[in-house]
Amino acid sequence: MIRKRAATIVSVQALAAPGHFVLTFDDPETARDARPGHFIAVGATTPANPGSSILRKPFSIFTVNREAGLCSLLFSVYGPTTRTMAQYEAGDKLDFLGPLGGRVFDADPHATQTHHVMVGGGYGVPPLNFLAKTLKATNPSARVTLIYGARSANLLVGDEGLREAGVEIIACTDDGSLGVKGRVTDGLLPLLGSPVIGGGGGDVHVYTCGPTPMMRAVAELCIAHNKPCQVSMETPMPCGIGICVGCVLQKADGSFSRTCTDGPVYPATEVTWQ
Amino acid sequence: MKLAVKIGSMTMRTPVTTGSGTFGFGSETKDLVDLSLLGAVCVKATTREPRRGNPPARMCETASGVLNAIGLQNGGIENYLREKLPFLRQFDVPIIVNVPGESPEDFAYVARRLTEGGGADAIELNISCPNVSHGLDYATQPHLTAEVVAAVRAVTDLPIIAKLSPNVTDIRPVAKAAEDAGADAISLINTVIGTAIDARKRTFKLANKTGGLSGPAIKPIALLAVYRVAQTVEIPIIGMGGIMNATDAVEFLLAGATAVAAGTVNFVNPLAAIEIAGGIADYLEKNGFDDVHQIIGAVQ
Repeated sequence: MIRKRAATIVSVQALAAPGHFVLTFDDPETARDARPGHFIAVGATTPANPGSSILRKPFSIFTVNREAGLCSLLFSVYGPTTRTMAQYEAGDKLDFLGPLGGRVFDADPHATQTHHVMVGGGYGVPPLNFLAKTLKATNPSARVTLIYGARSANLLVGDEGLREAGVEIIACTDDGSLGVKGRVTDGLLPLLGSPVIGGGGGDVHVYTCGPTPMMRAVAELCIAHNKPCQVSMETPMPCGIGICVGCVLQKADGSFSRTCTDGPVYPATEVTWQ
Repeated sequence: MKLAVKIGSMTMRTPVTTGSGTFGFGSETKDLVDLSLLGAVCVKATTREPRRGNPPARMCETASGVLNAIGLQNGGIENYLREKLPFLRQFDVPIIVNVPGESPEDFAYVARRLTEGGGADAIELNISCPNVSHGLDYATQPHLTAEVVAAVRAVTDLPIIAKLSPNVTDIRPVAKAAEDAGADAISLINTVIGTAIDARKRTFKLANKTGGLSGPAIKPIALLAVYRVAQTVEIPIIGMGGIMNATDAVEFLLAGATAVAAGTVNFVNPLAAIEIAGGIADYLEKNGFDDVHQIIGAVQ
């Protein structure tokens, strides 16, 4: 059920990573309905920031607290919408449509042989945090790992609450300032076993979200190792609700698919990467 | 407050419809919008055969505007009648179907199928789409416009709305040709052709290179076109182009439009057409009017 909301903002918290914020808002219905992979379309043109951006911008749900009726978004400032969001104060209203997304992450927390591996980069980590926590909350013995990457340790974001929830964490940094020196694929590769059909690595299931080149590399690595992989596409979404048909990706069968309502999550085998 | 207007034989309870291509086929927003509160619902372009549309990237935001090159992606007329129409007909609201074509025969074929299938209460001829070949060119020439309108007039009694392009030297002869060929109304404007370039990547932002600009950036162009055409033809005009709120809509009515369409604003607020109708009623009341017709063309 999509709703149009003016939810009360509870807090906007600056993270240690420069330019990154977590915005928490009060909306029990969204907290109840949101699933990992859902997003909301935020309209944040304020009187102080007039005409700066006409269209809403999509943000994945980062955390959900059903009991308290709260949701949060994690974002970095890169344009007028996020600049406005960073300046919001407690008590301001967050104008959004949501929860949005026709196909979200499909993960079975009770699949005892499955190792759920989240692979995220930058602004792609938030929905994976939500997924990882949901898996662990549903089945504390589920094996869940987050592999996340950034240029440097101080830019790693999105792991809030995961260690406490029992999620294994593998950090990858380009400069080697924390964890594996290299890309997220360098962290992922040892978990996949040999690149043959039915090869080692156990029953690994990969979920990825982040910059397109990163997701492509993760998807191709998984396909080469015959491991299932779900990708959450980050295509610009002008409306988020399926009416503009502007956010399409070309699927492997040649058709154009609206990432907002047909996705944003797709099996890696369905996606082409032009 | 009298808000109802007539477009040919079609009565709209409010003077606000959705703009084609900005509201899907109505079902996408069913959680949010009660279609029966709209003046009319104008659905996405529907062609003779299915079209897969243009490759991505299809849309980008520009200063006060949105540039798109969707390429008329749709499932074709038979898919519309079978899959889309039953949902729309659950609501007591007139349906306008936007019809592009690559020949007068194409337009006439889809118009005939819509008429036979009870698929529309009015047909908007999209002779002005800037994103496909054989789209824009009809509305750039009065005689081509007349040819398409006449071909459709021959196969349907439904109201015909000719949707015109701003990408011409003078829109008035085109509007007159549509009227003389039997159109019941004119809608304008379609998008303004343009492009956007990414300086960092040194590429076009749209895969199609060119697109159609919509949103507040084009409102002055649209207002002038409506005003000029209103001085030229007797048939009603549906005005559109950058309408974001009721004040914008009132400006189009003052310029001479009998009805207006909310377009790009639907991407931000799918309830816009309903809210704008309410805002027009408020404007009329505040200014001592009791019928929307009292402000149509009333600019001085």
